[in-house]
Amino acid sequence: MSGQDPIAAFRVEAGELLDATEQALLDLSHDLESRALIDTVFRGMHTLKGSGAMFGFDALAAFTHHCETTFDSVRKGLIPATAELVALTLAAMDHMRTLVDDRDGSSASAVGEDLLARLHALLGNAHASAATLSDGEEASRVGPAASCLGHQSWHVTFRLPSDALTNGTNPLILLDELRDLGGTNLAVDLSAVPPLDELDPTQCHLGWALDLPASVTREEIEDVFIFVIDDMELSIEAIGNQAEAVGTSGDALPASEDLPIKNSSQVVPVAEARGSPLSRPASESVRVPADRLDLLMDRVGELVIVQSRLAQLTSNGVSGPAGELALRSISEEVERLANELRDTMMVLRMVPIASLFGRFRRLVHDLARETGKSIELETDGESTEIDKTVSERLADPIVHLIRNSCDHGLETEEDRIAAGKSPSGRLRLSAQQAGGEVLITIEDDGRGISRERVRAKAEANGLIQPGQVLSDSELLQLIFQPGFSTASQITNLSGRGVGMDVVKRTIEGLRGNIDMTSEPGKGSVITLRIPLTLAIIDGLLVRVGNGKYVIPLAAVEECLELSLEEDIRSRGRSMIQLRERLVPFLRLRELFATGTRPDPYQKIVVIATGGERVGLVVDQIIGSHQTVIKSMSSLHRSIPSFSGATILGDGGVALILDVVQLVALGQSHEERLRAAG
Amino acid sequence: MSNILTVDDSMSVRMAIRLALSGAGHAVSEAADGKEGLDRASSTKFDMIITDLNMPNMNGLEMIREIRKLPIQAGTPIIFLTTESDEGMKQQAKAAGATGWLVKPFVAESLLKVTRKVLGQ
Amino acid sequence: MQQDENLAAGSATPWDDNGQLEVLTFDVGDERLAVEAVSIREILDLLPETPVPGAPDLVASVVNFRGKIIPIADLRVAFGMPRNPAEEAHPDHRIVVIETEIDGEPLQIGLRSDKVHEVTILDRADSSEPPVLGMRWRREFVRELVRQPGSVIVIPNLPTIFTSLAEAA
Repeated sequence: MSGQDPIAAFRVEAGELLDATEQALLDLSHDLESRALIDTVFRGMHTLKGSGAMFGFDALAAFTHHCETTFDSVRKGLIPATAELVALTLAAMDHMRTLVDDRDGSSASAVGEDLLARLHALLGNAHASAATLSDGEEASRVGPAASCLGHQSWHVTFRLPSDALTNGTNPLILLDELRDLGGTNLAVDLSAVPPLDELDPTQCHLGWALDLPASVTREEIEDVFIFVIDDMELSIEAIGNQAEAVGTSGDALPASEDLPIKNSSQVVPVAEARGSPLSRPASESVRVPADRLDLLMDRVGELVIVQSRLAQLTSNGVSGPAGELALRSISEEVERLANELRDTMMVLRMVPIASLFGRFRRLVHDLARETGKSIELETDGESTEIDKTVSERLADPIVHLIRNSCDHGLETEEDRIAAGKSPSGRLRLSAQQAGGEVLITIEDDGRGISRERVRAKAEANGLIQPGQVLSDSELLQLIFQPGFSTASQITNLSGRGVGMDVVKRTIEGLRGNIDMTSEPGKGSVITLRIPLTLAIIDGLLVRVGNGKYVIPLAAVEECLELSLEEDIRSRGRSMIQLRERLVPFLRLRELFATGTRPDPYQKIVVIATGGERVGLVVDQIIGSHQTVIKSMSSLHRSIPSFSGATILGDGGVALILDVVQLVALGQSHEERLRAAG
Repeated sequence: MSNILTVDDSMSVRMAIRLALSGAGHAVSEAADGKEGLDRASSTKFDMIITDLNMPNMNGLEMIREIRKLPIQAGTPIIFLTTESDEGMKQQAKAAGATGWLVKPFVAESLLKVTRKVLGQ
Repeated sequence: MQQDENLAAGSATPWDDNGQLEVLTFDVGDERLAVEAVSIREILDLLPETPVPGAPDLVASVVNFRGKIIPIADLRVAFGMPRNPAEEAHPDHRIVVIETEIDGEPLQIGLRSDKVHEVTILDRADSSEPPVLGMRWRREFVRELVRQPGSVIVIPNLPTIFTSLAEAA
């Protein structure tokens, strides 16, 4: 993020503040009496209003002011916190987000006015008093502008609080200020100075007296003492004739040259930044903990050292075994650093999934209101970290899955009671890291998925033949087919034209996959498996025929040898006995039509996803490979076996195998063989 | 040029203060909470400290009290940020040893005015 | 007006106001093709190609072009010519990297060429629409034919070729 743009930083902070305040509001909706939560909401609005005004977000400040006033009334017990108020305030917070993005708020002023009108209506009389309060504030800000006329000058005497010096007040600066106002005839009052042995040098024992011209206002004089005025002795007298006034005791300060109070002509950066066009949207920035940056800095430092070693070596000439050894050691060092830099870089992009989950509390709250169902949301594993981009792209699919669960999965209160369940439906969102992946599960204890209805629908849509034999998981997978919808009645929640096929495609676009289990009457569990990062994976480089391919290492379970004898024996069956289980395998040489002869010692790489396994027969396992994923052009994107490509050390290209698709292919082979008997 | 420490948990406020003060030729150091502020103040003499009151780890009041015990910061002006409505807080901060305050929201002009007031022209 | 719309759709030859067009001419099999010079990115010597199993014949392989993975197209497939077996690589063979737009997405593609000739100016006066009858090729794959002394240059309609043949896979 830009280190110089407070506006961008404010947008980030305002977003976080709104998130935190929204969480407090959602908590408040379950515990309407909680003073602590009401305070939190009030403080959030208060801070937002204040900082908003500071950074020129006047529309935001003005709008938030009204919400703050409302919660001030709640805080003072003038009006109760109600579900209505919470819902309205949540809507108001959405508007605040708009105003954070759109500083002048012109695009949404009607929305704001409507919300304020509804707040008015809700508050009734309580709001009327709040409105006067805000008018009062306005008035005090203007300030009294009375000027004192009819006298010749001011005589000012003052004595600072005794702790003024220790508290950082410098009397000399105050005297300078008075001089700048035109102060003359300064006299010091030493009467309170104690004997030397009793003198505390940190205390201020002096008093002063001076004259100021009548052109100075009383407010200007008081303003000099603004920070100490409550605790000091100060007298400001209007007197008849300034010219003849003489100090009462001590030495007079020689009248110095009159310095007018400078009108600051300095550039005012904040105000200037206010007028500048919007910089990058706040969502572009990532907040990075300092220790992670330090780590990155360390690595870069090491890289610089290795670079200088390399430079030295090349200038000395790389010759002989010693030179080669030195070069090899540098090469190894660079490799290690590259790996560590990569890892550190990845960590920089990681954000806790809590920020994503936080949004869904609000969603579930709204869905419960819309459907009239009672829904409890539980979340777990919120500290699990995930790549920022991945997290952002996951939001829409998960919103859809939650909508589905709330709309179709969870029953109404009556239905649940009739089914012997708790009246409130339970929705559980959890995240956990497993190897190079994050597992996100969305679980409900609703009615589960009716296989009969899925089948009927799929048959009606021509997705399957009537009576076609399908495994249970295949049947459930039909839900993810384009155009499929299990809702016999389309509601405004799920029937928005986005199907589960879009969810699946989005998840697969993140190189993840989606899996569903469901037990009729008990509920459904949807599991998303998402790679931690998009750009780089650990891969297993293999050779099939003359081509090289990368298998994502996260999916590899084990590697076995396929002896020629076994290969011949298994021909036609394509199954291998793996401990207790028979695992189907695919001969990639045949699948890819390489037209080459098999190596005498072929290998089987067993890959697994979503509990299903398949073996891939390759000619050779070359080794592990740090794979930077490159996308294929649109002309090749529809080929199912590959999810991308990568560039090898020699500049050649290796294709990356799409594990999910290959497992599905292997499974369908197996089932076809089984069906054939 | 003066050496000024700004202590605030809000990065945007710190940035705004830094921009305004460095524009006026001051050197600005930053701390994100009271504890960090106290650490900085323990090792470096500042000409002025500007602090928020409501912060995590160590709040502004506590930090002001601790800084006032540091010989190195004897007489260092401490300005705290407050809001219009928080009269009680203002009294507490003064009692803790603060020199003056700046009312939020503020613009660069009022910050510079307070700075000039406390540091002299 | 009509022409502007065609331009936007990428289906018309972008002749300039003087009825001229700067092109690169190159051979594919025994045909000479011309592609607008503005869409040419680079002319490369043959690179090691990586076949993509399951890909359409037109774009059966990819190469590493400056860190990007780009498809290599064999336009012989579009014009129904016998494909040149890879082992018959000739020193004249080149890959012409062009940038075109397909379904609104900019796309770099390497075109296999048996010989690259020159950058030249073609005149609209010499051009004609492909005949309805008597062509060996699908008419929509050709934008225009331009008569030259002793030969005819084909201006192919690349977006149409790629959308129809690549998606037919």
